[in-house]
Amino acid sequence: MVDPLIALLIGIGVLFASALIFWPDSGLLWRLQKRRELTDKVLIEDTLKFIFKCERNQKPATLESLAGVLSTSQGRASEILAITQAKGLLEMSGKRFSLTPAGRNTAIQIVRAHRLWERHLADTTGFGETDWHQQAERLEHKLSVEDTERLSASLGHPTHDPHGDPIPTSKGDLVSHGGLPLSDLPVQTSARIVHIEDEPELIYVQIIAEDLHPNMIVEVDETTPDRIRFWSEDREHVLAPIVAANISVVPLVEENHVQDIQGIPLDTLLVGEKGKVTAISPLSRGVERRRLFDLGIIPGTEVGVEMVNPGGDPTAYRIRGSVIALRSSQARLIKVDPITEEEQEISQ
Amino acid sequence: MNSSYEKILKSARDLRWDIGGDFHEKIMESLYTDASRIADRAVTHPGDTPRFDLDRTIDRLVTSRIWGFPLMVLLLTAVFWLTISGANVPSGLLYSLLIDTIHPFLKSIFATLGIPWWIDGVLLDGAYLATAWVVAVMLPPMAIFFPLFTLLEDFGYLPRVAFNLDHIFKKAGAHGKQALSMTMGFGCNAAGVISTRIIDSPRERLIAIITNNFALCNGRWPTQILIATIFIGALVPAHLGGLISAFAVVSIALLGVLLTFVVSWALSRTVLKGEVSTFNLELPPYRPPRILQTLYTSVIDRTLVVLWRAVVFALPAGVVLWISANLLINGVSIAEYLVNFLNPFGLLLGLNGVILVAYIVAIPANEIVIPTILMLTVMISGATGVGEGAGVMFELESGLQTLDLLTEGGWTLLTGINLMLFSLIHNPCSTTIYTIYKETGSIKWTTVASLLPVVMGIVIVFFTAQIWRLFAG
Repeated sequence: MVDPLIALLIGIGVLFASALIFWPDSGLLWRLQKRRELTDKVLIEDTLKFIFKCERNQKPATLESLAGVLSTSQGRASEILAITQAKGLLEMSGKRFSLTPAGRNTAIQIVRAHRLWERHLADTTGFGETDWHQQAERLEHKLSVEDTERLSASLGHPTHDPHGDPIPTSKGDLVSHGGLPLSDLPVQTSARIVHIEDEPELIYVQIIAEDLHPNMIVEVDETTPDRIRFWSEDREHVLAPIVAANISVVPLVEENHVQDIQGIPLDTLLVGEKGKVTAISPLSRGVERRRLFDLGIIPGTEVGVEMVNPGGDPTAYRIRGSVIALRSSQARLIKVDPITEEEQEISQ
Repeated sequence: MNSSYEKILKSARDLRWDIGGDFHEKIMESLYTDASRIADRAVTHPGDTPRFDLDRTIDRLVTSRIWGFPLMVLLLTAVFWLTISGANVPSGLLYSLLIDTIHPFLKSIFATLGIPWWIDGVLLDGAYLATAWVVAVMLPPMAIFFPLFTLLEDFGYLPRVAFNLDHIFKKAGAHGKQALSMTMGFGCNAAGVISTRIIDSPRERLIAIITNNFALCNGRWPTQILIATIFIGALVPAHLGGLISAFAVVSIALLGVLLTFVVSWALSRTVLKGEVSTFNLELPPYRPPRILQTLYTSVIDRTLVVLWRAVVFALPAGVVLWISANLLINGVSIAEYLVNFLNPFGLLLGLNGVILVAYIVAIPANEIVIPTILMLTVMISGATGVGEGAGVMFELESGLQTLDLLTEGGWTLLTGINLMLFSLIHNPCSTTIYTIYKETGSIKWTTVASLLPVVMGIVIVFFTAQIWRLFAG
């Protein structure tokens, strides 16, 4: 029989080692997999995508910035540039490089695959906002043109990715989202978020933590060099200008604006109170959103609060004659117009 | 022709950008509006206010802060008590009929017909005995538990349990209805897995399926009770023995509930992160249960279907068990080779080779674990005066005899405790594995559901054994 102390230590060692190897997202196995995926093909495609974005934003693409984006050395980056050029996807003139038509097509296909995959993750899986970009970064290199086409068809040919970026058409046309940075929005104007930049991740995470999402309505209260103070739906946000600059907005035309912003969250109603649904926040998306529609929760539906779980969540609502419990995380995203006692009596 | 076709396609593409992404929702809204307008014209609601009052009163009681939980615990305890105490008598009757009467009777017929001993062994001692054992242990509790459970469901109470418990299950990333599939799992894991159909969110349903095995099923309660009685109950004076061993069994069951939450939590944050998750829970109006229909459906759909699957799997297991105990190579049976081979590993885990072999042979049905262990122990230790011979399962009349036999087989208190732990935390039986495959349609999730608990079990008994030996041994 093995000495129990030794066995215990070996056991702990084995547990520790397997955690080190198999831990999702940071284990050795995962890192190895990621390194193996980083082939020349992937690096070339990332290069094309980077130069494409630089050209669109009219920023100069330099070797240093390319090496930074690919997270490799400058030597390796120039090696990749040379291969890309030899394939006829890239033209160099002195220190500047630009895409050939073939290179631009490849880049647009990658962008299309990326944004479609993000749409797919947002609509048909349970992955959260912060996982989309990482996964799409890997998948964009694996989807062939046919795969991408099939994906687009299965999603109903969506026009925008979940961040609000337009998805290039199969013909390669790419419209611009045409917004201005939230940091440039004049005070006291309302605007609709059309795009949230998902890179760099550090800033994106901050925006997501604020529960901001394309199609939400915002109104700026105060703009100073240190902070932007603004309202969205039911709460106030304060962001640094550098973060707010990654949110693009389009100012609202006056008449649209009133109807969109009305209503209080359903979870603020108390037992016995009733409300009429005015809108479902864009934060509720994909299958979750469709489920609410399936239950008959659409603008105009009357919802009454029936009872609350002893622990405070979920709450049961009377919806179109049946009693259905929803969690507060869902009810929060349903906006209602409270129905007062008098109105109830009149309708009866 | 071709150019006008192109033109239409182009204008369709352009329109798509103009009308925005939410046109599906606009269409749906107008459909609902039309439908409700038609419904309002055609449907009348005569006196609909008083109809809900009784429902509301019951709802207020069963979901109230003060009465909600005690009422739930009381009802579920009553169901378990009725099941356990009610099943004892018919189980005993079935046992004495199938095993004490019919088995010897068949043996004597085979003997008079002069059928070779090995045919007799495979068919009667192997196939028949294993099947009869499973039927005797499994049928009565299921035939009581399932109808009771279905009656509560039919009355409309169970959705309220899910409603009350959702608060807790949400914290583990699970669905309130998992409370129901878990409770069903206490009756039978295969039935518990089937009952996860009520969870309509894919992620939460997979969580409920994978963790259902941590609900201590009907086939494992007898093992727990026996081992707790002879090893743990024996530690204290006789008049406290019953209480302490009952406490030990309940602790194991509660450990299972705790593991359900822990594993649910871990699964929802790792491998199941990408599965779609939604929540909604309908609380239907109460109605008087339809007793006859309930009896019929629960006996036919749940009890008999599950029993049939168990029999289908138990029968070959009995054959395998008998052959492994009787097929000799160099004068030593296959079972003995296996036991000796696995013994060092088993001892390291605080178990032994016999237990490991019993768990491999008894994958089809947890009910035959104890009889298999006893048979193998007799065979290996060469104990005389007990048992029915190689490959023939049996159980002893008294706990004391069992304890004597097991002690002779080298068992200690640690072996007993680890067996209780391993009985809770090991792979699901083959009926359940098959059901998981049928329900998920996925080899991947079936593999996860089968291997995850057995790996956890091995890790847990290993550490229990080492720490026990360090401090107590």
